[in-house]
Amino acid sequence: MNLSKRRGALVAASITAAMVLSACGGSDDNGGEGGGGSTGGTFSMYIDEPENPLVPGNTTESEGSQVVKSLWTGLIQYGPEGEVEYTGVAESIESEDNVTWTVTLNDGWTFHDGTPVTAQSFVDAWNYTAYSPNAQGASYFFSNIEGYEDLQAPTDEEGNVTGEPAATEMSGLEVVDDTTFTVTLTGPFAQFPVTVGYNAFFPLPESFFEDPQAAGTNPIGNGPFKADSEYVPGTGITLSKYEDYAGENEAQADGVDYKVFTDLNTAYTEVQAGNLDITRDVPPDAITTAADEFGDRFLESPSSQFTYVGFPTYDPRYQDKRVRQALSLAIDREAITDAIFNGTRAPADAAIAPVVDGYREGACEYCEVDVERANQLLDEAGFDRSQPIDLWFNSGAGHDAWMEAIGNQLRENLDLEYQLRGDLDFSQYLPLGDEKGYTGPFRLAWAMDYPSPQNYLEPLYSTAALPPAGSNSSFYSNPEFDELVAQGNQASSNEEAIEFYQQAEDVLLEDMPIIPMFFGLEQAVHSENVDGVFVDVFGQVDTSKVTVNN
Amino acid sequence: MGRYVARRLLLTIPVLFGASFLIFAMVYALPGDPIRALGGDRPLAPAVVAQLKEQYNLNDPLGVQYLKYLGNLAQGDFGTDFRGRPVLETISQRLPITIKLTVVAIAIEAVIGIIAGVLAGIRRNSFFDNVVLVSTTLVVSIPILVLAFVAQFVFGLKLGLFPISGAQEGWYSFILPGLVLASGSLAYVARLTRTSVAENMRADYVRTARAKGLPNRTVVVRHTLRNSLIPVITFVGADIGTLLGGAIVTESVFNLPGIGRAIFDAVRAQEGAVVVGIVTLMVFFFIFFNLVVDVLYAVLDPRIRYE
Amino acid sequence: MSDPKLTTLGHDETGAGTVTPPAEESADVAGTQNSLWSDAWRQLRRNVLFWIGATLGLLFVLIALFPKVFARGADPRDCSLSLSGQAPSAEHWFGFDQQGCDYMANVAFGARNSLIIGLLAVAVILVLGVLVGALSGFFGGLVDSLLSRVADIFYALPLILGALVVLRSGFLGRGVVAVAIALAAFGWMTAMRLVRSQVIAVKSSDYVAAARAMGASNSRILVRHILPNAVAPVLVYATITVGVLIAAEATLTFLGVGLQRPAISWGLQIDAGQRLLRTAPHLVLFPSLILTMTVMAFVMMGDALRDALDPRQRS
Repeated sequence: MNLSKRRGALVAASITAAMVLSACGGSDDNGGEGGGGSTGGTFSMYIDEPENPLVPGNTTESEGSQVVKSLWTGLIQYGPEGEVEYTGVAESIESEDNVTWTVTLNDGWTFHDGTPVTAQSFVDAWNYTAYSPNAQGASYFFSNIEGYEDLQAPTDEEGNVTGEPAATEMSGLEVVDDTTFTVTLTGPFAQFPVTVGYNAFFPLPESFFEDPQAAGTNPIGNGPFKADSEYVPGTGITLSKYEDYAGENEAQADGVDYKVFTDLNTAYTEVQAGNLDITRDVPPDAITTAADEFGDRFLESPSSQFTYVGFPTYDPRYQDKRVRQALSLAIDREAITDAIFNGTRAPADAAIAPVVDGYREGACEYCEVDVERANQLLDEAGFDRSQPIDLWFNSGAGHDAWMEAIGNQLRENLDLEYQLRGDLDFSQYLPLGDEKGYTGPFRLAWAMDYPSPQNYLEPLYSTAALPPAGSNSSFYSNPEFDELVAQGNQASSNEEAIEFYQQAEDVLLEDMPIIPMFFGLEQAVHSENVDGVFVDVFGQVDTSKVTVNN
Repeated sequence: MGRYVARRLLLTIPVLFGASFLIFAMVYALPGDPIRALGGDRPLAPAVVAQLKEQYNLNDPLGVQYLKYLGNLAQGDFGTDFRGRPVLETISQRLPITIKLTVVAIAIEAVIGIIAGVLAGIRRNSFFDNVVLVSTTLVVSIPILVLAFVAQFVFGLKLGLFPISGAQEGWYSFILPGLVLASGSLAYVARLTRTSVAENMRADYVRTARAKGLPNRTVVVRHTLRNSLIPVITFVGADIGTLLGGAIVTESVFNLPGIGRAIFDAVRAQEGAVVVGIVTLMVFFFIFFNLVVDVLYAVLDPRIRYE
Repeated sequence: MSDPKLTTLGHDETGAGTVTPPAEESADVAGTQNSLWSDAWRQLRRNVLFWIGATLGLLFVLIALFPKVFARGADPRDCSLSLSGQAPSAEHWFGFDQQGCDYMANVAFGARNSLIIGLLAVAVILVLGVLVGALSGFFGGLVDSLLSRVADIFYALPLILGALVVLRSGFLGRGVVAVAIALAAFGWMTAMRLVRSQVIAVKSSDYVAAARAMGASNSRILVRHILPNAVAPVLVYATITVGVLIAAEATLTFLGVGLQRPAISWGLQIDAGQRLLRTAPHLVLFPSLILTMTVMAFVMMGDALRDALDPRQRS
C-alpha cells in the first residue's frame, strides 16, 4: 500500500496502518450476545477523499481501502495481530513447492447483486488488474505470477505505449472448477497466502466488466456491507448491512455512513460534538487532551507506517557506511517524536516494524543517540564537515518540522550545517529520486501491504526494487541481502523464513542505506454511540465489528 | 448601454480561448511527473504509467494536447481527471456550494462593512472609528484557519448555534463559513467606505444639503453614500470572483466540497483538464461580474455614460 | 470595438456631484507646490494618529534593521527540542516555538523578510495597478478592453498555479524578492480596478472638462488633474494589503515555492503556529499581533497623510 497522500499542511499528515494492542474499546461489550446477533443501528465514520474510484485493484491508499474493505471480503482475513485467518472466501490455500498454489473456495458466497463468487470471479479480477491497458494502480502485485509480463503493453524508450499486450490472461492462473483455481508463481514464495488478503486480490462480479467506470461509483462487492448510494466525491457513501453475507464476521450494525472530510480537525470537532462516530486519526495538537476528554473512547496502537531517511548511496559523500552510521547516531529520535509529533509516532529501533512477526526490539544498533561515537565515526571516514548537508523532503505534506529538527540536531551534535530542500512536490520529488537526483538524505515512508517482514525488506532495498520499477531510492544493492531475502521467500516454515529475514535486516542495519526514523502510532476516537471499534494492522477500522448503542 | 453590454459579452469568446490556452500552457509548464506522483512511495508498474500517460495525452507536445482538448470540447467532452471522473460532473456538483458560500460571504462583508465604514466615516477619529480600525485589521492578520477553528469551537461546539461543518439544505449552514470567509475582506470594505464617506462629507453638495436643513440621515444615505460606493462596488465585484475561485481554506475547514478545494487539488495533481475547465469558468465569471460593476458605475454616477 | 466611452455632461443635473474638487486645483490656486507640502506637514504634525502610526512604523523598521537588539540576547537559531512549545515566561517573553527556539528572537528576526516582502510587493502592485488602471480608465475603448480582459484572466488564475509556474521556473530565484514579485504579479488587479473606476469617475468631473477646454494635453490632465484625485481608494487598499501579503507569503511556503526554514519570517511563523493551536496558541498569537500593529501603523500613516494633503480639511 502506498502512502501517496495528497493531504497537505492544512491537514495533519496521514497515518495508514495500526494494530490493536491494548485499548480495544468495548470489544467485549457484545461478547455475551453470541456470534451472529446484530445490534442494528447505523454509525458514521470519517474518511479523507479516496484517490481513486472504489475499485479494489485501483485502490492503493488508506482512504479508499477503508471503504473497499467494508464492501469486499478477500480469500483470507487478517486477525487483530495480523495473523492469517481463513474466515474469508478461501477454504484453503496450499502448495507443496511454494510455487504452484491451489486455492479452494468455500461454497455459498455471493456478490451484492446476488451472483455467486466463483474461482472465475477471482481469476478475472486478477487478470483485469494486471492488464496494463486497464491502468490499475495495484497491477504490480501480480508481477510474481507467471505470465504477468504478457499482460504488460510494450513501450519504447520514452515510455510511450507501442502496442497491445501479448495476452489478456496470465498463464499462471487456471480455473479448475467453480470453487478451485491454481496460481503458478515465477519463483518460490512461501508468504503467498499472507499476501492475498490485500484488496488488490479481491474478486469482482461479472457486472463489473461490463462497465468498470460505473462500478467505481456504484461498487458491488461480496463484503459485510453493500453500497446503498453511489459514491459522491467530497461527500462520501452510505453502506448498509448485506443480509446474505456468507462469512463469519457479518456486520453488527445496520449500516455505516462514510463521510468525507478534507480537514481532520473538523472531523475531530464533529466527534467531540457527537455528530460523527469514528475518526481513525486525531490532530497531533489534540493528542494530549484527547486521552482525558475521551477516556476509553480514545484508542492508540502501533501502526505499520515506517518513516525513514534514505541516503543517496550513489553520492560519493555518503558512500562510506560509517558516515551513514554516524548521521543516524547523531539523531535523537525520541526528542523529535515528543516535541514535533506529540508522541503520535514512536522512535524506530529496527527496519521491520513492530506490527509484524519478526520485529526485534533494538535491532538497529545505530538508532540510539550516541554523539561521541558519531563524531568518531565521522572523523574515521574523513567526512568533510565544512559543506552543509542537504535534507530532502516533499513540500506541502507537513515534513518541514521534523526534517528541520534533524538538521538542528546534526548541527548541534556533529557541527554540520544543513540546508532544507523541501521545495518539490511529490510529482517532482519522486522522479528526482528515481533519477539519482538527491544530494543528501531524503525522507520517505512505507506502510505495509501485507503483514510479513518480507514486505519491509524486499520492495525497499533489494536489487530487484531499484527505480524506476521499485522503491529502492537509496540505490542500495548488496548480494548478501538479496540472497537472504530470497532464502526467506523459499523457506518452508514461517519461523525459518523470519530467521532469514532477520539476518537480511541485520545486513541492512549494518550498511545503513537508510536511517530508520519512526514507527507510526495510530490514534482514533469514537463517540458514545458506538462500541467495538478496533483499528487493525492496516490502520483501518473493521466496520463489521462495530456495534451501535441504542 | 445595451449595445455596450452586447459588445462586451461578444468579446468574451476570444478571451475564453486565449485564457484556456494560457492556463493549459501553465499547467503544461509545471515541472514534475503527475503520474509518478499517483503511485506515491511505490511506483506504478511501468506499463501502467505508459498507459495513463497515453490516456491523458501527456506525451504530446503542448499544441497537440490543447487541440485534442478543444476537439473533445467541441463534442461536449470536458475531459476527466486522473481518476476518470468527468470534469463537468465535478463542476456541476461543486459549483452550487461555492456559489452559496460566496453569496453569504459577500452579503455579510457588504452589509457589515458598509455600515461600519459609514459610521466610522461620519464620525472620524471617534471611539467607534478606532474600534473598527483595530478589529478589522486584527481580523486581517489572524489566519483564516484560526478564525474558522475558533468559530467552530465557540458557535458550533460550545453554543451549538450553527452546524460545525458540512453543506446542508438551505442557507443556515453557510452562515458560519460565510462569516469567516467575509472577515478577510471586511477591513477593505469598511476602510474604503470610510475614506469615501469622509471625503464626500466635506464636499460642497453635502454642505449645501446640510445648509438646506436636511436631516443628517438623509444627507448621509441620499447624497454621501451613493457617491461613496464606486470604490466599494469595485472591490466587492472583484471579491466575488476571488471568493468563487479561492476559498480553499474555508471550504476545507467547514468541509464544504466546493470549487476552491477542487482547483487546489487539481493544480497540485497537475490535472490539466480539471484546471482548465474550472479556471476558464472563473474567467467567465470575472468578465461577467466586472461587466455588472461597470454598468453599476453608470447607475451610481449618472454622468458616466457608455455608448 | 470601443468599450466604455464616457461623455461628460456639462451640468450635474441631479445635484449629486461625484468626486469633489481636487487637492491639486487648490494647490494651483495657492501657488507653489512647496506651500502644499509645508501646509501638509504642519497639518500632519498636529495629528495624533500620525504620530502613533509613525512611531510604530519606525519601531518596525528598527526591528528589521537591528533584530539583535530586540531579540533580548537570544539567538533565533539556537534551538533545543526539550523547550519545544513552552509558554511565555518572564525570561522568554514570547515563549518557545516547536523547534524549541526563542520565539521573541524569531519574531524580531522575521521582521526584515516580512517587511521587505510586504512593502516590495505592495510597491509593485501600486505601480502596476496605477499604471494599468489609469491608462485603462482614461483612454477607455480598445485600450480598456484589452487591459481589463488581461486583468480578468489574471483574476481567474489561481495564485497557486501562477506562483508555482513563476517560482518553479526559477528565473526570479527563490528569495525574498522572488516571493514579493510573485505575490504582486497575481495581486495587482484589484488595485488596477480601483484606480480605473476612480479615473472613470473623476474624468467626468467639471474641472477635467475645464482643463481640457484650456487645451491641456492628455498626459498633463491625467497626471496633474485626474490621478491625484483618483488614488485615495488604492492607497487605502494598499495599506491593508501590506499585511495581507505578509501573511500570504506563508501560502507560498506551504506550496513549496516560498521561503523555507531556516529562513525566518512572520508568514512562516503564522503558518507553523496555526497547526499547534491547541497546544501552543502563543505561536500564532504573537506574530499575528505584531502583524496587526504593522498594518495599523500603515493604515494610520496613510490616513493622516491623505487628510493632510486634502485642502478642504484645512478650510
